[in-house]
Amino acid sequence: MMGHHFGVPFHEELQKRIIRTALSRITEAEKSGDIYLFPMTWAEARLEGKEIEKKLGIAP
Amino acid sequence: MSLAYLKDAIKEGDSEKLIRYVRLHFGDGNEERGAKEINKAWIEALKPMLEIPATDREFILQTLAEKDTATLAHLFFHLHFYFVGRSGEWIHDGNL
Amino acid sequence: MAISKGKELRPGLWETVNERYPGSMITKTDFVPLVKLSKPLGEARLAFISTAGIQPKGTLPFDTVHPVGDYTFRRVPSDSKPAELEIHQLKYPTFGANRDLNVIFPIERLQELTNERVIGSLTKNFYSFIGYNMDPERLERTLAEDIADAVEAENADLALLAPA
Repeated sequence: MMGHHFGVPFHEELQKRIIRTALSRITEAEKSGDIYLFPMTWAEARLEGKEIEKKLGIAP
Repeated sequence: MSLAYLKDAIKEGDSEKLIRYVRLHFGDGNEERGAKEINKAWIEALKPMLEIPATDREFILQTLAEKDTATLAHLFFHLHFYFVGRSGEWIHDGNL
Repeated sequence: MAISKGKELRPGLWETVNERYPGSMITKTDFVPLVKLSKPLGEARLAFISTAGIQPKGTLPFDTVHPVGDYTFRRVPSDSKPAELEIHQLKYPTFGANRDLNVIFPIERLQELTNERVIGSLTKNFYSFIGYNMDPERLERTLAEDIADAVEAENADLALLAPA
């Protein structure tokens, strides 16, 4: 989602996974210009983020 | 819109293209919203003047006399965003 | 899933954007050749470049009102804490970033990945500018070239670029 390219707030594991996936393209991309679709939907990310915020006691 | 597109519009005197650009800029890609934003800015600029408070006219006149047109135009854009921001209903509030 | 170059994720989108903002989308038919990293990632120095309009507090705010855009960039020390930074950009939703800057500028995650030796090191500075720029030639001639020079001067082995 626009403005949220590295995931959802406070979901540190997901944020790191997105970076690691992006960096993995350096070795795994076959051609310049290849596009890789991250295997997770925005809805799933948001759901996990909400659970994390609940656990942290910071849900808005 | 590209800069070349806007420069061509000025050359051709096509004010429709230019105002469309301004509305799109203020309305985040939505002309109708942009037109509303422009109106909101003027309403917010009108409100504090109705009681005819003392204002710093010296500053205003000095600024208009001493500053170049580009700086004044830039200030004009700043003032638009300043007044729309004051309205409490701003499409650029981070929620888009 | 990988998609080959030249395939649009949302066919027709660019035409729609161009109808609304005539002349704003540039079709690139050439791509920079793919270059393999010369050393393992765990030994490489990474630069991060973002259009999110992030800047250290107290620096001149990005010009978010200019009708043609802002062609300057800010250096963001890579050891900064989010509390030392602020966002000056109006053209993307910042409600997530205002709560956790890492969703758009993952500076803490990059610091952690470096501590975990996934990444060798970070350049002294990261780089940020605003993505609202209506003069692509000026963008390429000034902003892109200047950032590329700055990144090169910091001896980066790779750069991670992220739009906002």
